[in-house]
Amino acid sequence: MLAFTRFEVGRLLSSWKFLVITVGFPVLFYMLFLRNRPAGEVIAHTVPWRTYLMVSMCSFGALVAALTAGGARLSAERSSGWARQLRVTPIPAWSYVTTKVTASMLVVLPVVVLVDLVGLGFGGVHLSPGRWVSLTLLVWATALPFAVLGVLIGFLAHAETAFPIVTGLLFVLGYFGGLFNPVAGMPHALQVMAHLLPNFHQAALGFALLDGRGLSPVHFLVLAGYAAVLGLAILWKHRLEEARGLA
Amino acid sequence: MRPLQAVNAKVGRFVRSVLDEAPSAAPATPGGIPAVRFAGVTHRYGTHLAVDDLSVEVARGETLALLGPNGAGKSTTISLVLGLLRAQSGRVEVLGTTPRRALAEGRVGAMLQTGLGSGLPPGVTVEQTVQLVRRLYRRPAAFDAVVERAGIGPLLARQTQRLSGGQAQRVRFAVAIAGDPELVFLDEPTAAMDVEARRSFWRMIRQFGAEGRTIVFATHHLQEADETADRVLVVNHGRLVADGPGATLKASVAARRVRFVAAAPPACLLERLEGVTDVEIHGSSVTLHSLDADATVRGLVGAGIAFRDLEVAGAGLEEAFVALTACADRPRVAVS
Repeated sequence: MLAFTRFEVGRLLSSWKFLVITVGFPVLFYMLFLRNRPAGEVIAHTVPWRTYLMVSMCSFGALVAALTAGGARLSAERSSGWARQLRVTPIPAWSYVTTKVTASMLVVLPVVVLVDLVGLGFGGVHLSPGRWVSLTLLVWATALPFAVLGVLIGFLAHAETAFPIVTGLLFVLGYFGGLFNPVAGMPHALQVMAHLLPNFHQAALGFALLDGRGLSPVHFLVLAGYAAVLGLAILWKHRLEEARGLA
Repeated sequence: MRPLQAVNAKVGRFVRSVLDEAPSAAPATPGGIPAVRFAGVTHRYGTHLAVDDLSVEVARGETLALLGPNGAGKSTTISLVLGLLRAQSGRVEVLGTTPRRALAEGRVGAMLQTGLGSGLPPGVTVEQTVQLVRRLYRRPAAFDAVVERAGIGPLLARQTQRLSGGQAQRVRFAVAIAGDPELVFLDEPTAAMDVEARRSFWRMIRQFGAEGRTIVFATHHLQEADETADRVLVVNHGRLVADGPGATLKASVAARRVRFVAAAPPACLLERLEGVTDVEIHGSSVTLHSLDADATVRGLVGAGIAFRDLEVAGAGLEEAFVALTACADRPRVAVS
């Protein structure tokens, strides 16, 4: 299983397309958004703009990496017959899914670290090394529902439709989850909607950590709930295929 | 006219009973545990009967071809034996255990049909792919041995998405044997290969089989089945139509179909013509199945039957089997 995970991570990190998208997107957005507001502006009386942006872009980076690692790549590989070929090796059926999620999580980490470094280098954010490490680990760990979502898209979408679906989701989740613009400044209806999205809760944990506030278990619960429901959806699809002899 | 399926079932029973009396047709199985055992297996997709009450055993060390037209139930049979599908009724045993356990123990390898896909992971080299698969097994074959058997030495550094159809199939064969399996399933392995690639692919399979491994492959090419397998199972509509060595089959494809139109065709005369194994009469149109079309036509002329629109064609596999039964029995006549 370790060999399989290493193989998958190696495949992701040696793909130029994957690296350009996952590193390029969040860093580019970071640079574009940085001058949107004055450096000293404080969002909703709690988080300074620059801190807000670093946490948001870390969260966005995790989202991009997780959805791209699954998504179209996974869908294409499933339709190529490789996933089916693995089913006739000794590894258990579920290990395909767990390995994919693990591999996604493993490639999310360097992306989060990178965006964090951009934040320190160019974003005008000053953090103690301890805070920096805990923020990185927090954003990484809470990216789990996105890793599961990426794999789910690979299971549900066709190879051709998976890419537009992922791109669409990146923007929908990014925007409505409050990663591009603070939720506090949004109309009420959008604020309510943001609270339903996992990125909002991931970012909220990041803000709380940097602000020195306690991390509310509600955020963790919502994220864990998302991971569980999306995971069950993969299981459901897998069972369906298995019954037809396709998996 | 009787439905072909019923005829085939009858033929199958006949051929099997002949083989039962000739034990040399099936190699002895060491330890008595067959490589594969199907006992009354039935599988349907909705109302479509894909495998219909199939009972068959494959001995260890045997190279067996599953021959039949598209949609005959070959892939379903292979999916059942690999545990990708669970038999809805009946029993499937692989190497004396369940299909899934045999797979989990690393004793089985397979090359599945991939449609348009390559069946290989994009973005990695051939070597990385084969090495990964080896690591998924507890007791894999030596890497060099796999490379040599599959003849993929020159391809090792190649990215999997840059392989030709024939090359990809070789790599997929390497993947199938990377775990050093006792039993290998190949589902239409030469689809999308050119003639030369086919030939060298089967040469490789024969060498692998000569090492004492059990190989089961599905194909719809009679020639492939005949040239490579010790034993050929013919399936159609999910049923076993015939079971025997390739040579028996080969003889039977000499069968021809002689068609003509005659006013008031005399069935009793036609069935006595030389070579005729089967007579079908629909009003004035007559179809004779013959093992010797030349003699049959000469006989037709000699008998003074006024016929027109004469047509002689090679019989398909199904007709070949009708012929096969009838020649040992007596001509079968169907008039409607």
